[in-house]
Amino acid sequence: MDLNYTAEDQAFRATVRAWFEENLPTEPLHTLEERRAWHRKLYEAGFIGMGWPKAYGGQEARPMEQAIVGEEMARVNAPAGVGGLGISIVGPTIIHHGTEEQKKRFVKNILTGEEIWCQLYSEPNSGSDLASLQCRADIDGDEFVINGQKIWNSGAHISDWGLMLARTDRSASKHQGISCILIDMKEPGVEVRPLKQISGSSEFSEVFFSDVRVPADNLIGELNTGWQIAQTTLGYERGGSTLSRVSRLQVQFSRLLEVVQSLEVTGGKAINDPVIRQELGAIAADIEVLRYASLRILSRLEKGQRPGPEASIAKLHYSELDKRVQEIILDILGPYGQELDNIPEELRADGGGSPSGEDTAGSWAYPYVWSRAGTIYAGSSEIQKNIIGERVLGLPKEVRADRIAAAQPKAGTPAGEGGQ
Amino acid sequence: MDFDFTEDQVMLRNLVREFLTEQAPVKQVRDMMDDALGYDTTVYSQLMGLGVTPFPESYGGGGLGMIEQAIILEEMGRIPYPGPYFASVILAGSALMHSGDDNARARYLPDIANGDLTATLALIEDAVDWTPAGIGLAVTHDGGDLVLNGIKRFVPFGQSVDVVFVAGRAPGSSGADGVSLVAVPRDAAGLTVEPTTMLDMTSKVATLRFDNVHVPAENLVGAEGGAAAALEETLRAAAIAAAAEMLGASRKSLEMSNDYAKVRKQFGQFIGQFQAVKHKLAEMLELVENSHAAVYYAAWAVDAGAADAALAASVAKATLNESSKRVCGEAIQVHGGIGYTWEYDLHLYWKRAKYLEPLYGDTSYHRERVLEESLAQHAAS
Repeated sequence: MDLNYTAEDQAFRATVRAWFEENLPTEPLHTLEERRAWHRKLYEAGFIGMGWPKAYGGQEARPMEQAIVGEEMARVNAPAGVGGLGISIVGPTIIHHGTEEQKKRFVKNILTGEEIWCQLYSEPNSGSDLASLQCRADIDGDEFVINGQKIWNSGAHISDWGLMLARTDRSASKHQGISCILIDMKEPGVEVRPLKQISGSSEFSEVFFSDVRVPADNLIGELNTGWQIAQTTLGYERGGSTLSRVSRLQVQFSRLLEVVQSLEVTGGKAINDPVIRQELGAIAADIEVLRYASLRILSRLEKGQRPGPEASIAKLHYSELDKRVQEIILDILGPYGQELDNIPEELRADGGGSPSGEDTAGSWAYPYVWSRAGTIYAGSSEIQKNIIGERVLGLPKEVRADRIAAAQPKAGTPAGEGGQ
Repeated sequence: MDFDFTEDQVMLRNLVREFLTEQAPVKQVRDMMDDALGYDTTVYSQLMGLGVTPFPESYGGGGLGMIEQAIILEEMGRIPYPGPYFASVILAGSALMHSGDDNARARYLPDIANGDLTATLALIEDAVDWTPAGIGLAVTHDGGDLVLNGIKRFVPFGQSVDVVFVAGRAPGSSGADGVSLVAVPRDAAGLTVEPTTMLDMTSKVATLRFDNVHVPAENLVGAEGGAAAALEETLRAAAIAAAAEMLGASRKSLEMSNDYAKVRKQFGQFIGQFQAVKHKLAEMLELVENSHAAVYYAAWAVDAGAADAALAASVAKATLNESSKRVCGEAIQVHGGIGYTWEYDLHLYWKRAKYLEPLYGDTSYHRERVLEESLAQHAAS
C-alpha cells in the first residue's frame, strides 16, 4: 500500500492546474458556439478523449492522469466540453464495432466537438428493463425505416447525431432482436422535444421518429447484435470521473463551511449549533470515505484491472451519498437553501466567485434537485443492487415474469439487466 | 497510488487467519465467555510468538506498521478473538512507544512482545470523556513514591493483566497540562479491581478503584505532566485498530449472510432471490467495502506521517461505528429466527462491534473531530 501521488503525477497536476488558471473562461458560456470553442481549447490542450487510443486522436493517458484533469476541472468549476456522451460511449463503440468508413467519417469529429452526439436508448416503457424496447427499425431495401419514441436523451436538442438501439427482429426473444444504428438527427421525421425536469431546466429530451429513413450502412456491427454491443463494457475514460465527483463535493462543502459561519439560526451562529456541527462532521467524513474509495478504484485502474460489476458499488455509493449530502445541506440552511434568486451574498452557494460554471445564481437548490437524478440514470440504485447481488455476491437470479414467459415456448435465453 | 496489500501484508493476513481459525475456534471463544480470565494463555503465547507487534526489533517486536496492525485486528474481528492483544499491544504498547521513555520501553516492551507480560491502559473515569479533560485521577508524591487516588472505568482486561498504565494528573492542573502515565501492578495494595460483565461477554473489562496506591517514582512513564501527547497518539492508534476489528466482524457477518441467502429457501425459492434480501446484502457489501477503504487509508496515513492522519483516524472510527452496527445487525435480520439464537454465532460479531463502538471515541466525538480538522484545513487553505 502506498497512497502517495508519484512525483510524475504531482508534476502533471501542477501543469494541469497552471493551464486552467491561465485559460479558464472569465464569463459564463451562454451559446453553443462559446461552448464548442471551449471544447476545442480543451481538446487542443489534450484534455478531451484522454484515454482514447492514439490512432484515433486520443492520448492513451493513464487513468490517474484522467482523474487528475477531472479533479482539477471540478476544483475550479470549469465548464465541461460539449457532447460528453460522444467521448465516453459513442466514440469507443464506433472504434470497437464500426466499419473503417464509419470510423473515418465520425471519430475525429466526436473528439473535436465538431459533431455532438446523443444516446437513443431509453423509451417511455423501457427504463430499467431496457431490452424490452419497442422503437422499430424495419429494413426496406438498403434503408432502415425508423418509427417510435425515445426518452431521457441527454443533449438531444443540440445533437447532430444519435446512437440508437432499435428493434430489428420482433420475432426473436427480447435481447436478440435489437440492432445498434447511427441516426442523423437532422433527418426529416426526427422530432426533438425538450423535457422539462423537476429542476425546471431541460438537459434531457424526448425524441419522436416517424418514418425516418436511414441508410443501411449506418448499422453498427452485425444485424440483431445491438444488445451485445451496448452491453460490452467499453470506454477509455474510466479514470475521468473518479476524483471529479469527490472534488465537486469538496468544493461545495468548503463553501458550506464559510456559509455556516455567517448563517444565524435559533440560538446564534449555525457553526456553534451542536446538532449542525454533528451534521457537518458526518458529511465531511462521508466525503472523505468517498475519496478513499475512489483512490482504491484508481489504484486498480492503474494496474490495468477493468472494473467489472464492482463499478456498480461505486455508482451506488456516489449517487446515494450525493442525495444524502444535499439533503443535509438543505436541512442546515433552512429556507435559504431553497432560494432560487436574491440569495444574500454571504450565503450563496458559489460565494459569488464562480463565473465560469453553469449560472445557477448561487442557489443550493440546484444540486439538491439534481441529486435526485443520479440514483435513477445510468441504471437506478435498484438495478445496481441487483447487479451487486447477482454478479458480485453471486446470489441466485430473481424470479421474473419475462424469464418465465421466455422459458415457456422455447429454451430460455441468458438475460442481463438493462439500464443505460 | 497503490491501495492493495503488499505480498508481505497478504502473507501476514493469511498467517494470522490460519492461526486464529485453528487455535481460537468459535467454540473456544464461547468457552471464554464464562471464564474469569477470558482467554487461553497458551494460545495467546503462541500468537505473540508469531512476532505480530509494532515494537522495534530492538525491543523484541516485529516492527510492524499500522497497516499490519489493522490487518491483524481485522482478522481478530472475524473470530472474534477474546485475548488481551488489543489491551497489551495497541493500548499499553502504543502508550509506551509514544512516551519517549527509553527506560520504560526497555522495561516492558520485550515482555509484552513475547507474551510473558500482559498490560492495559486505564483512561476513562466516571465520565466517558476521551479528551485530557476527562482525566481526574490524582497523582501525588510521597517521599520517593507516587500516590494514586481515583477511579478508572471500562479498563480492558483490567481484571487480569499484570500491569496497568494509568493516566492521572497533578492536583490543580487542567486540560492537557499535568497529565502523567504511571505503571501500576494490578496486585498493588490499595487497588481494587471490580470485573464487569458486558453485553459482549467475550470482552472483559473492569472498574479500578485507586485508594492511596503507592508505586516507586521509577514507575512514571515519560515526563511527569507530559503524557497528553502520547495518549493522543495512542487513542488514534486505538481508534483505527478498533475500526479494523469492527471491519472484520462486519465482513464475517456479511459472508455468513450471503452464504445463508444462497441455501435458505422460503416460498419455494432461495431467500437471496428476493430483492428485499438481495438489496440488503448489496447495501451491506457497499458498507463493508467503503469501511475497508476508510480503515486502511487511516492506517496508511499514520504509517506515512500524512498531514491528514488525525482526520483519517476519526473518519475511520466514525464510519465503522455506524457501518458495523448496520452490517452486523442486518446479518441477524437476513438470517431471521436462527440469527437470534444463542447457538448461532452472529450475535458474537454484533456484540463485539457494539462493544467497540463507544470506546476510543463514539460517533459524535469523532464527527466533531472531523469537523474541527476540516475547519482547520479550510482556514489554512
